[in-house]
Amino acid sequence: MITVIQPGLYTTVQDQGRFGFYGVGFPPSGSMDLYSSAVANILVGNPAHAAVLETTFVGPTLEFERNGRIAVTGATADITIDGVSIQPWTSIEIKKGQVLAFGGISAGVRNYLAISGGIGVQPVMGSRSTYVASNLGGVEGRALLPGDRLEVLADSESHTNRNRFETPEYLRVSPLQHHVIRIVPGLCNYLLDSKSQQLLTAETFTVSTEANRTGYRLTGHQLNFIEREQPFGAGSDPSNVVNLGYPVGSLQAPSGTELICLMRDAVTGGGYATLATVISVDLDILAQMKFPETVSFEAISMEAALQLRAQRGKRLQSLVELIDAVT
Amino acid sequence: MPEISEIAAPFPGVFYRRANPDSAPLAEPGQVIAVGRVIALIEVMKMFHEVQSAVAGKITEFCAEDGDAVAMGQIIAKIERQS
Amino acid sequence: MDTYTEFVDGAQASFGGDEFIFVEVATDMDLEATLRVIALTDSVAAAEISGVTDICPAHVSYMLRVDPGIRDPRDLLPILAKIHKQKAKDSKLKIESRIIEMPILYQDPWSHEVLMRFRDRHQDPTLTDLDYCSRINGFSSAPEFIHAHSSRLHIATFVGFMPGNAECYQLVPSEMQLQAPKYVRPRTDTPDRALGFGGAFSTIYPVQGAGGFQLLGRCAAPVYETKKPFGPFEHSTVLPKGGDIFQYRSIEMAEYEDIRSRVKAGTYQYRIGTLEFDLSQFREDPTGYPLTLAEALP
Repeated sequence: MITVIQPGLYTTVQDQGRFGFYGVGFPPSGSMDLYSSAVANILVGNPAHAAVLETTFVGPTLEFERNGRIAVTGATADITIDGVSIQPWTSIEIKKGQVLAFGGISAGVRNYLAISGGIGVQPVMGSRSTYVASNLGGVEGRALLPGDRLEVLADSESHTNRNRFETPEYLRVSPLQHHVIRIVPGLCNYLLDSKSQQLLTAETFTVSTEANRTGYRLTGHQLNFIEREQPFGAGSDPSNVVNLGYPVGSLQAPSGTELICLMRDAVTGGGYATLATVISVDLDILAQMKFPETVSFEAISMEAALQLRAQRGKRLQSLVELIDAVT
Repeated sequence: MPEISEIAAPFPGVFYRRANPDSAPLAEPGQVIAVGRVIALIEVMKMFHEVQSAVAGKITEFCAEDGDAVAMGQIIAKIERQS
Repeated sequence: MDTYTEFVDGAQASFGGDEFIFVEVATDMDLEATLRVIALTDSVAAAEISGVTDICPAHVSYMLRVDPGIRDPRDLLPILAKIHKQKAKDSKLKIESRIIEMPILYQDPWSHEVLMRFRDRHQDPTLTDLDYCSRINGFSSAPEFIHAHSSRLHIATFVGFMPGNAECYQLVPSEMQLQAPKYVRPRTDTPDRALGFGGAFSTIYPVQGAGGFQLLGRCAAPVYETKKPFGPFEHSTVLPKGGDIFQYRSIEMAEYEDIRSRVKAGTYQYRIGTLEFDLSQFREDPTGYPLTLAEALP
């Protein structure tokens, strides 16, 4: 068991996501930065589907009631055990009675805390991920509160030999204040006028203060849509379409005034024209960005998007091999 | 020289000096406050969070306007410490 | 590779990043296109294509989610092209469906309280949502509008946005189609189970939250249930499926309260029947045919 002394700003239980129900309105949820979350699990010897804690800006203070192994990845944060600083991206032993505390962050947004065995909340529809908007999964479908007690599942023996393994620098993520985010154009992109199509990839957009697990609002440039007779049932604004499905990562521009990128708690559909989709690898990067950091978009092919996805898989595999080699 | 403490935004959000648009500001420049006194609010992820002063003293200045978007770490107020 | 691929039936496919394929069958709302989307996605489901994790039909378009670790999403284009070609010849516009009765307290006090709080975001702050909808649709009173809305069936043509949400299109002759704009700015609050109306679509809000549809009333029975898996929620946390037909039955407060207590006890029984919906029959007799469908309710 783990007791939540302070929950932090917005800390939720997440795993790799909930699949198979997008068609009836359930987003995948799961860790916003899937790469960092996967590294944390690898460092403590957990299976890939184990549930971790995801923090937002201000992490929690937690008391451990059992010996185990932990790893914290993601944002750059000050983390202590009983007041003594610990290394991030490192496999660390924690003992019964010790208190893990998150201090302020200096880069990024979200930390991932993996605990050997994984968080043992009841899976809902195949996943332990919290989806707060529909009160689903995690701890009673909500963010952590003071006094919550989290069950930790029995851990395998594989973690015991990982003592103090440090993830090499090149396998960590480093949140910056500007990132190039890669997109695959498509969907209703044809509704943008040609100038706006160019503007989307030529200009810089700023992450606004309205940026959460459902979506990131990005401001900076007015986009314009082609003039057409609005389809029946679409609504009168040129950015309106007859409600359609929204891919996770898709970009839309309500009335053209700002961009919204849908994240892992996406609404699964709606009535705004979708313009392009952020590739899954770069959704991890966007998830670590905040106001007033900036992005520019680069259009890439499906071929390139799939290669980048495969590279992420190889990076995780190489971490597993490195750990196996030293133990 | 009096010692000046700066209060920084703990996360990015929208800065408010009032609990609601019609009420008086939570604190005014010149006011002497105790430790833990709520001096402003920051709205993030559709939730309002109280910003408390970690020190006792006199508020000398607010460095952000009502309704401003503030970055994480941005100084939002200065307090002249009194022990 | 071009951004868009066009199939033989005119549908246009493109990729939504490395995990999604989006297929736009039509751009205008049209029941024939909706039924074609249902037929196409049923065929995709029946083909049991490995790597396809989610099949997401919408009003006149659909999406597939693919696990690229199992299948290259580009491999799906020729498979979909074949399915579209097969279905292009198929003029049968019938679906197996359900009819479900939803007990609605129109003009309920809870929606009223919320909508009065957001008058500044409405087209006409001097009227309630229901009075506004009545007026712009040419009715002289709210009861007339309620009768028009509740006495005729509605078909779910898009399930999604959030779990349990289903946008429903009324099965009436086109000159009787009710319409209303969404709020000028969305509300930040809506009661759960509120009956909303926007564009030409009705929906029951599954949970409390933001929303932009005009608020007409509140349904006594839930469309989303995670805590008490009674009746239809034994197998799914959401009630509506694409193609479901709903009868919104206008009820009074006493019956509303009675149904609420039975829902809370887990003893409420939804009235659900099965039927076949045939678009050609609806087109031939848009007034009379839906009345025969209502007979499928137990």
